[in-house]
Amino acid sequence: MSTDRDTLTRDLLEMVAQEGMVEPSEITPQRKLEELDIQSADFVMILMAIEEKYGAYVSVDNELTDVVTVQDLLDLAISKIEEHQAAQA
Amino acid sequence: MSRVVVTGLGAVSACGLGADVLTDATQTGVSGVKPIHFGDLDAQRVKTAARLSEADLVQVLGEKPHRMREPVAEYALTAAREAVAQAGLTEEHFGDSCGVSIGSGFGGGQTLNINYLKLGREGSMRLDPMSVPKIMNNAAASWVSMEFGATGPALCLATACSSGSQSIGMAYQMIASGQVERCLAGGSEACLESGVFRVWELLRVMTAEQNRPFSKDRNGMTLGEGAGVLVLESLESAEARGATILCELVGFGTNSDAGDLLRPDPKRAAACMRMALKSAGLTPADIGYVNAHGTGTVANDVNEVTALRDVFGEGLDGLDVSSTKPIHGHALGAAGALEMIVAIGALQRQSVPPTINFTEVDPKIDIDPVANVAKPKQLGAVMSNSLAFGGINATLIAKAYEHS
Repeated sequence: MSTDRDTLTRDLLEMVAQEGMVEPSEITPQRKLEELDIQSADFVMILMAIEEKYGAYVSVDNELTDVVTVQDLLDLAISKIEEHQAAQA
Repeated sequence: MSRVVVTGLGAVSACGLGADVLTDATQTGVSGVKPIHFGDLDAQRVKTAARLSEADLVQVLGEKPHRMREPVAEYALTAAREAVAQAGLTEEHFGDSCGVSIGSGFGGGQTLNINYLKLGREGSMRLDPMSVPKIMNNAAASWVSMEFGATGPALCLATACSSGSQSIGMAYQMIASGQVERCLAGGSEACLESGVFRVWELLRVMTAEQNRPFSKDRNGMTLGEGAGVLVLESLESAEARGATILCELVGFGTNSDAGDLLRPDPKRAAACMRMALKSAGLTPADIGYVNAHGTGTVANDVNEVTALRDVFGEGLDGLDVSSTKPIHGHALGAAGALEMIVAIGALQRQSVPPTINFTEVDPKIDIDPVANVAKPKQLGAVMSNSLAFGGINATLIAKAYEHS
């Protein structure tokens, strides 16, 4: 049921690059979103893409304020997507 | 400067029809939030809103909708009729001596939504020919002025979530300065339309669960709708006609962050509260209760609590704070008016309404609001905050009326 983690991570990285308008080669999990110049307006684009592709709704709130690095964002997205998939099952 | 008093209150909200109904709901902690479903949205992520019940909608809109009026105007008219009846105003009290100041964030959302859907789906050019007068933001204010023959200034401030508070504040200033003797003031919003709801979803400030302001597990707001209208009068004219005075409106502050469109600035919110205190001639220690903007988004809650500590001191000693938004929802342009009515209700009943759905103190802001159950308290003065997108802040202060 759960999407394969590696595929999911790869797809999400691509999504962050595309929606955040950053060169894919610049994105690594350890990099800070701020360094990549990914701002709040880019965040909502990334979250919209996650909703479109996986159906998971993530509000710009508590958990998202703790997100600093690309990895933090991936972890949050994966947990929300898995939560959503579990709820659909 | 004239003293300004409140002689009438009217409210339309998810809690029901009537200002007392709203105060009852906020005092007993009964939420008006209900499931909401939009057939137009393929996938709806957020499934609740503080909407009017079907029965209340029929009562307010009638069996057959008015051809020239949107719900936003009908809500305002219903609230205004209640406030005017309570105040005991009759024909001779209107005319040029009475102004109208009713704000709205969106104006008429329904006609625009129906038109867009029809145009997009059917390519139809046969749209509502009365769209323009129905949609325009000042429709509610104009209908209220026409209903009562109030020919004084008619204003419609469209300052998002501060519309209602600023509208009451402008009315307060017009009366205090002697421009008019009285004013019907407040805000109205009817934004629960599929297209509008979807763009709020996309901004991702709405919770898909429960609205929990100040609580550690908060994750967004719940959208609401409705209208709140107050009858404000100069003390002189209220006394001259022997009106029952509900309370005195003593302070108004408003300012702009001039910083970021969406991210609030606690220094500016604090300056706004101080401006209201200064205009009221009160100190922070005089305020017993603050009805917070308290949307339940992390951005607002952190900002507002930082500002409250700045104004009222680190420990917020002697102050009780709550957000009643989980009960009546975030009614945007009507929010400030509905919440001022709630704050006046707290003053009248000497009881602080609770922040329902509260589970746990958030160490990030470390505030313990009046949670889940109302708290009896001797209240002399109460404050209501509105902190809007666009960086527009507004604070109102009401005080128990004392004859001097």
